[in-house]
Parts: sequence; structure tokens; C-alpha cells
Amino acid sequence: MTFSSLLKGMWKVISLYWKDLLGSGIAFTLLLALIAVIGGVIIGTLFAVGRMSKLKVLRGLIVAIVEVVRGTPALLQLYVGYFFVPAFFPAMNSLDPTLMAFICVAVALTINSGAYVSEIIRSGIEAVDKGQTEAARSLGLSGKDAMLDIVLPQAVKNILPALGNEFITIIKETSLASTFFVGELMTKYKNIVGVTYDSVSTLMVVGIIYFILDFALSKGMKTLERSMKAHA
Amino acid sequence: MLEIKNLYKNFGSLKVLKGVSTSIEKGEVVSIIGASGSGKSTMLRCMNLLETPTFGEVWMEGKLLTPVDPYLHPEVIKASNTFKALTAQGMDENAAIAKIKAEDLLQEKHNKEGKEYKALMDKIYKENFIDIDHARRKMGMVFQQFNLFNNKTVLQNIMYAPVKTGIEELKKAKNYNKETKAKLIADSKERAEALLKRIGLADKANVYPSTLSGGQKQRIAIVRALAMNPDVMLFDEPTSALDPEMIGEVLDVMKELAKEGMTMVIVTHEMGFAREVSDRVLFVDNGNIAEEGNPEEVFSKPKDAHLKDFLSKVL
Ligand SMILES: Nc1ncnc2c1ncn2[C@@H]1O[C@H](COP(=O)(O)OP(=O)(O)O)[C@@H](O)[C@H]1O
Ligand SMILES: [Mg+2]
Repeated sequence: MTFSSLLKGMWKVISLYWKDLLGSGIAFTLLLALIAVIGGVIIGTLFAVGRMSKLKVLRGLIVAIVEVVRGTPALLQLYVGYFFVPAFFPAMNSLDPTLMAFICVAVALTINSGAYVSEIIRSGIEAVDKGQTEAARSLGLSGKDAMLDIVLPQAVKNILPALGNEFITIIKETSLASTFFVGELMTKYKNIVGVTYDSVSTLMVVGIIYFILDFALSKGMKTLERSMKAHA
Repeated sequence: MLEIKNLYKNFGSLKVLKGVSTSIEKGEVVSIIGASGSGKSTMLRCMNLLETPTFGEVWMEGKLLTPVDPYLHPEVIKASNTFKALTAQGMDENAAIAKIKAEDLLQEKHNKEGKEYKALMDKIYKENFIDIDHARRKMGMVFQQFNLFNNKTVLQNIMYAPVKTGIEELKKAKNYNKETKAKLIADSKERAEALLKRIGLADKANVYPSTLSGGQKQRIAIVRALAMNPDVMLFDEPTSALDPEMIGEVLDVMKELAKEGMTMVIVTHEMGFAREVSDRVLFVDNGNIAEEGNPEEVFSKPKDAHLKDFLSKVL
């Protein structure tokens, strides 16, 4: 295959399937990533707070979940979500199969992301010098005040960039969801190739879209980081 | 004013403090000297419970900061099942108390020592304890590494604790409203600005700590503690992280404080300074106060062999 025929193939994919690719593939990819990251931040925060709790059982449970998520492949977790979520919520079986698959995958990705985010938050907090807490406590502030007013505002500066990276990672990981044909970009790739049999051109187009999404996000994060530093 | 009684501190199997007692009087300036790693910081940090003592009690202005240490109260030991068992075997009361203390025989779980023991422990605690956050508001602390809040400007650093704790007090007194809050903030700001002016750093009010020199940071850390109107100030090697040319400016602020009658406990390696400002010097060695006295005695006529050795190295 020559370079010009590749370009032609890519053009054909873009012009024929533009609406399909952009309109829903990108939308679903971003939606899935957004759900996973926002849900992940909520779960991750709860986990991080839970890990500071005095309850040993709770701490142990959270550590176990985090370690299991980190120690198993994301694709396997999606399978688990795909089969387990409907088992727990039988009502879901009456839903449209694509929607059901989407929900299952979103739940699994959210928990996956929650585990990583909780680690990001924890290490962001731990990276703040212990002296900051000690200074606040020595002035008679409660541990809660020291955490909320002194430690967390500083930890956020460590946490936000890492969260951006997590978002970027999640966008790439959503491609695993195509295993269940949930309609994100990689599913669209499969749909298109099923008709055109032109995998190379389609892959190139989809790859470029993934790259642009992540590249733009990473640039955006860098700008945000810089403006945060300027205000420190 | 501030008293530590029979303080023990273990870090895992490392025994750092081994039964230290001392009492700091109002207006007294006490320096703590000793080799690095001898437990000076640990001792100081136990005074405001940044480290939790393993055994022993800390008292501040007649209030108990730690849990009750049963070994410090013979009547508590006598109420214990362990004591009763020993004396039932015919052991002499004093011998039983001595044995229990020496061998750390009291059960940590109060109910195992019986109702009478538990009730007595609770009674002593209830009659004397003070909430640690409240106690700390009267004890300023200055750290070797300054520990200014990085996310706050200099002025915010100084105002933060007075405003935050002030609001809490107002709420507790059911006197929290817009006016009282505004007044609290205005008063705190005025005081913070006066303190900054006093150390000649009024022009730094609105900058962040990262732009300051070590000497400036430490002087601000001192007035940040002073903003709470503490009754005692604890210093943990306040000049050890400073470039030599900045040590003087920090020591000057401390000397002035001492002159004003502030009660101060100072861990320091600045022997000249300790000699000049202290009313009493403690030499810490091997987890205990090996020698203490006025600066003249300690520096000119040391008796302890390790102290002599230490002084010959640092002077
Ligand atoms: N948080 C801690 N955990 C374990 N060991 C500690 C801790 N803090 C201090 N130590 C140990 O306790 C000993 C005394 O420390 P420290 O009180 O800091 O000594 P100094 O201030 O006299 O140099 C040292 O051996 C030190 O390593
Ligand atoms: Mg020290």
C-alpha cells in the first residue's frame, strides 16, 4: 500500500463515517471517560478518607479493593462488571443491550478509576510535609482543620496533575470497552472495518482522534498546572 | 506552669526517654542541650503532645494533658487487682508498689484491674484533664524547619490560628455573628501587623513564604506562635537550619522575648546564647536529664562526665 492510497483510504473513512465517528464514537468515549473520572474522584475521595479512618476493618477493606484493582487487568475488570452488575440488578436485563453493556462497563471503569484516584489522593496528601500539620496542631487547631485548611489545599497541587494523567489513561482504557460493543470510538472502528475491510486507514483515523483528545487534554492540564504554580 | 512527670517515650523498641521529670516555672527560660539523637526534640515534643508519651504525665497550669499514668499515683496502684493479689500473698505494701512499678505489672485494660481502679483512674482524669487543642493554644512552638504554611501569605499565616480558634470560641459562647466575626478578624489583623512591624517585616505581609529567607521565615514563625498569646514558648533548634549570617536576627528576637518575661523552653546548639539567656540549663543524655543547673554551673563547673565531654566538643 502506498502513502497516497493510505491517505485516500483515510479520507474515505473520514468523509463517509465522519458523523458516525465524531458524532457518537468520540461522544461515547468522552462520556465514558468522564463518568469514570468523576465517579472515580468521588469513590477515590471516599476511599482516601476511609483509609484515614480509625476503623481497621474499613481500612483493610479499602486497601484490599485498591490492591485487587491495581493487580488485575482492566479488561478482566470490565468482564467482571459486564457479568456481575446485571446479576446484582436483574432489572437491567430488560434494558437495550448496548445501554446495559455501557452501564456495566461504566461501573467497572469507575471502580477501576476510583482505586487509582484514591492512591493519587493519598500520595498527594502524604507528599505534603508533616511539619505543616504539626505547625497547625501546635497552634491548637484540630486535625480536621489542619487537614482542610492547610494540607488539602497544598495536596491539591500534587493531586490535580496526576488526576489529569488518570483522565488521559482512562480515555485510552475506554477502548477496552469495545469488547462489549458499547459504541465508543473503538467500537466504531470495528463497525467501519466490518463494512470497508480497510483496517489500516480506519486505525490511523481512530488513532489520530485518540491522540488529539489526549494531547489536547495533556496540554490543557499543563496550562492549568502553570497557572496554579503562578498563584502559589 | 509546665510540668513533665516521669516521661517515657519508646519508638518501637527504641527507648528514647527513660523517666524524665522537670518543672518549668512561670517566666523561666530553660535551655535543653545534649548530643544529637539524645532525645531533646522528643522531650520538647512530648510537652505539647506532638509526640505521645509512652508513660508519664504532662501538666500545664494545673491541667493534665496526657492520660493518667497509674504508676504516678500510689493510691491508684493500691486499688488495682494486681496490687491486691500481691499483698494477698503476704507481700508488704511498699514492696508490692515497688515491684509493680519496676516490672510494669498493671494491665493496660482498666477493667482487668477492677472497678475500684477504673473508677479512680476516671476520677483523676475527669478532675484534671484539658482538651489538648485548648492546651496547645497556650503553648507556642517554633520548629527547626520553620513550617510556615506554604499555602498562606505571611499575614494569613499569623492570623489563621487566632481567627479560626477565635471563631470557635465565639460560637461556643453563642456570640457568633457578622459583627463579632468582623471585629475578631480586624483585631487579629491589627495584632498580626503589629507583630510583623516589631520584627521589621511589615512589608512582607502579603508575600508567600517561599519568597523569604530562612531568617525571615523563622522570625515570622515566632510571631505566628506569639499571635496566640501563649503562656509558654517551645523552641526546637530554631537556628539549626539557618545560614550562619541569619542566626543572629532570630536569636535577637528570642532574647527580647526572654527579657519581656516569656516562659521559654529552648532546645539549642547555640551554647553562647543558652548561657546568656537561660535561667536553667538541662543536659539530656541517654534518655534522661543527666545534669541541670544555672548556666554558670553547667558550663563552667560541669560534673557529669558526658557533659564535660560534650562541652569540650561544642565549645
Ligand atoms: N518518629 C520517630 N520514629 C522513630 N524514631 C524516632 C522518631 N523521632 C525520633 N526518633 C529517634 O529518637 C532518638 C532521639 O531523637 P530526637 O529526640 O530527635 O533527638 P535530638 O533532638 O536530641 O537530636 C533518635 O535516635 C531518633 O532517631
Ligand atoms: Mg532534635
